[in-house]
Parts: sequence; C-alpha cells; structure tokens
Amino acid sequence: MSASKNKVTNSILKSEKKSLYRFLTLYITMITFLMLVLGFYYFDTQKQIMLAQQRATLSKYAYEQTKKLKTLHHYFPESNTYPRDKRFKSAIYDTDYVEIFSLLKHKHINFDKDIYIEDSYIHFVKILDNYYLGAKYLIIEIQDDGKWLKAIYKKMTIYSLIAFILFLFLGIFLAKLFIKPMRDSILLLDRFIKDTTHELNTPLSTILANIEMMDRDVMSPKNIKKLDRINSAARSVSVLYKDLTYITLEQNKINKDEEINLKELTKQRVEYFDVLANAKKIEFKLDLDDSILYIDRVKITRVIDNLISNAIKYNKRGGYIKITTQKNLFSIEDSGIGIAKDQLPYMFDRYMRFNSSEGGFGIGLSIVKNITKEYGIEIQTTSTLGEGTRIDLKW
Amino acid sequence: MVKKIIIYALITINIYSSNIFDQKCVPCHKELPTSLQQMFMQYLQLYSSEKNVKYILKYYLKHPSKELSAMSDLFIDVYGIKEPSKLSDEELKKAIDIYWDRYKVIGNLK
Repeated sequence: MSASKNKVTNSILKSEKKSLYRFLTLYITMITFLMLVLGFYYFDTQKQIMLAQQRATLSKYAYEQTKKLKTLHHYFPESNTYPRDKRFKSAIYDTDYVEIFSLLKHKHINFDKDIYIEDSYIHFVKILDNYYLGAKYLIIEIQDDGKWLKAIYKKMTIYSLIAFILFLFLGIFLAKLFIKPMRDSILLLDRFIKDTTHELNTPLSTILANIEMMDRDVMSPKNIKKLDRINSAARSVSVLYKDLTYITLEQNKINKDEEINLKELTKQRVEYFDVLANAKKIEFKLDLDDSILYIDRVKITRVIDNLISNAIKYNKRGGYIKITTQKNLFSIEDSGIGIAKDQLPYMFDRYMRFNSSEGGFGIGLSIVKNITKEYGIEIQTTSTLGEGTRIDLKW
Repeated sequence: MVKKIIIYALITINIYSSNIFDQKCVPCHKELPTSLQQMFMQYLQLYSSEKNVKYILKYYLKHPSKELSAMSDLFIDVYGIKEPSKLSDEELKKAIDIYWDRYKVIGNLK
C-alpha cells in the first residue's frame, strides 16, 4: 500500500511540478525582461558618465582647434593647410551641414547631439560663434578604447547572475507558498478517494462472494429476482470501484504486458456482466474469433469492462449488444440511445456524460481512451441517435 | 611657335577678363584697400554657407546698407556704401557665382 501511496503522491507531485515550472517560466521571463530594462538603463547611464568625462578633454581640443581655424581663416588662401593634431581628428561643416573639410574616420555626424559614441568613435560637436572658413560646426573625433564597456559588461554580468539566482530562489519559495493550499486540498481529496476506495473493497467482495455462494435452488422465484437485483447492483458498484482503483492507484504502475486472446477475455467479461444485462433484458450477440493483443491484462480488462458497462447502461430495455472479435479488431455495438454527431468527439473526455438519468462519474470512456492511446489502438465510433452506437478498436 | 603662344595667351586673357565679374566688379574694387578675397572671407565668417553668402551678397548689391555690410564701421565711414547695382538678376547671379568659385574655401584646403 505504501508503494502505491508513493506513486499517487508522485503523480500529484508531477502536476504540482508542472504548475511550478509554468509559474517559474512566467516569473523568469518577467524577471529577465525587468533585468534587461534595468541593464539597458544602467548601460545608458554609464555611457553618459563616460561621455561627460570625455567632454572636458574634447572641449579643450575644440578650443585649440578653433584658434588654429581662426589663424587659417586670416591667412587663407596663402596658407591652405588644414590644422592637424595627433590627439584627435576633426572636421568642419557649414550652416547647411555641407562638409568644408574632414579628417574624420567615421563620417556620419549627428548634429543634434553635442557628444555621442558611434561605432567606437566619440564625436564632440562644437558650434562655433565665428564661422571661420565658413564653418559653423567643428567636429572633434577620438577613438574609444572600449575599456569602460568591458568594465560595464563585466559588472552587469556578475550583478545579473547574482540577481537572477536570488530571484530564482525567491520565485521557487513564492511558488511553493502559493501552491501549498492547493497541494493540501489535492492531497486531502486524494487520501479521501483512496481510503474510500479501499474501504469499499472488503464489503463489496463480501457481497459478491456471498451472492455466488447462495443456494438459488431453495429460494423462491421472488427472492431469486431480488438476489439478481442485488448482484446486478453490486457488480455495477464493482466496475465503478475498479475504475476508481485504476485511476487512483494502478494507472501509474509498470505494465505487465502479455499475449491476451480477446476471445477468451470477452467471454469472461460477458459472463460477468450477464446479470446486469439480464436485469434490462439485454441480449448478448457474440461473434468471437481469436484475437491476440499484447497488453497488460488489468488495462485491457478495464477497456472491455467499460465498453460493455456503457453499452448496458445506455441500452434500451430488451435491446442487444453485439460483440465481435477478429484479428486486430474488437467491436461492440449496442441498440441504445446513441449519441448526436456533434457530441461524438467529446464522448471520450473525462467527466463527460450525455445522459444525466444514468449514474456514473463519466470516467469510464476516459480510461478507455487513455489505455488505447498508450497502446496505439485506434478507436472508431459510429452512432445514430435513437438507434445505437458502434465502437471499433483496431490495432 | 612663340607667336602662337602669345596669341593663345592673349585670347585666354581676353576670355578670362570678359566675364561679368571681372568687367563689372573687379575694376571698382581695385581702388579699395581691402581685397575681394578679404571681403569674401568676411562674408564667409558671417554667413557661413554658399547658399547664405550668395543670397546676402545678391540682396546687398541690390539694396546696399550699413547694416547688411560685412565690412567694419571704420571702412564704411571712410569709403561709404556702394551704389545699388544696375545689373540684372541674371547678371548678378553670374557675377556672384564667379566670385564664390574663385575664392571659396571648400575644395581648396589640403
């Protein structure tokens, strides 16, 4: 029991982990986005600080260059050599942004900014008071060594990593905090279902065993009828019990696949459901050939039981159930109420019930769907409202 | 051969001196102490671009005034303001274009 209990808990933990991963993915995406925005602003601020530091030097260069331009202006055209300096490159532009002379390496100028960095070149744009040589704009250019950039990237990487790890732990802590009430409720419900299911087993087995042991020969026909009703009801509960057991305890167990002849198994299960069918005067029509399937016995039994149980449950009184087994085919056809065409795609969904007058949780066909999907068995359903339903399993 | 060179030189000088700038502007400015080159640099220092300089020169030549002149007050007090030009717009444009091309800075720095 404890091994099974662990499996169920593991199953819950799986869904909890899924929720946790989803939350964390969303959380990390948001945190990453936030850090990117902060990183961008930090980078921009650092860039502005670096440019502010460069501004003083470049202003000095611009002042010196202006003086040289003034001299050249007065001696032009006798002297026509543009003043050069090893420390920087420069250029002059007129009021219409036409280049008068340029020594710049990076030719693209942004006249709207007084200082900026572009493609590793820092440009300082000085507006001249006197247009020497017709120049309104004096551009001073120096090459950026990129040291500040490397230092920023290093800092940003370290801080981002630390912040990311901190936020990740905070995220996990928060997620667990939020999930805890939900987890407690799920565990409580799970424990309740498991306990209830377990407690059903003993009385149900006792009822079914005692019904089998009762001597019908000494009973009056009236009592036999009553006994059959008790038997029928007990077997319905038994099917429900097995479905619940399967869902809560057994579906995560490791499969014990073996070769199973559906012809034999169908016979056994029809015999089991005979009492239920008789109660509604439903006739079984069997056309059984050998049909071998390599599958877990518990699982294929759940498939057949649920298909037969459903066929009985939604059948007309005095109707029939035709079961055919052939090589690679199991087919069950009833003369029941049928299902509307638009509802057919949903009939294998969990908790889906098309007729509220009949009992059940709507989990039977969901189990069928899960098991057939696991084994790659194809389900084909045809149904006519008021005439009946046919379900074919092919593999 | 020498004759040919002399004739060619004379023809060239004739063509060169036959443009409207040399005919209508240069003779009067020869008498002033400030050269056309110096005046050009004064205008360039004040108005910067080709478009601005040409526009203001044309306007000044048609409507000369102390306020528009790029020359110093002392210069104007001594030599006065010129008479409004009698050249047509087309002739003025041609003369100013020649003036710009002859003394411009763009393309003449190295």
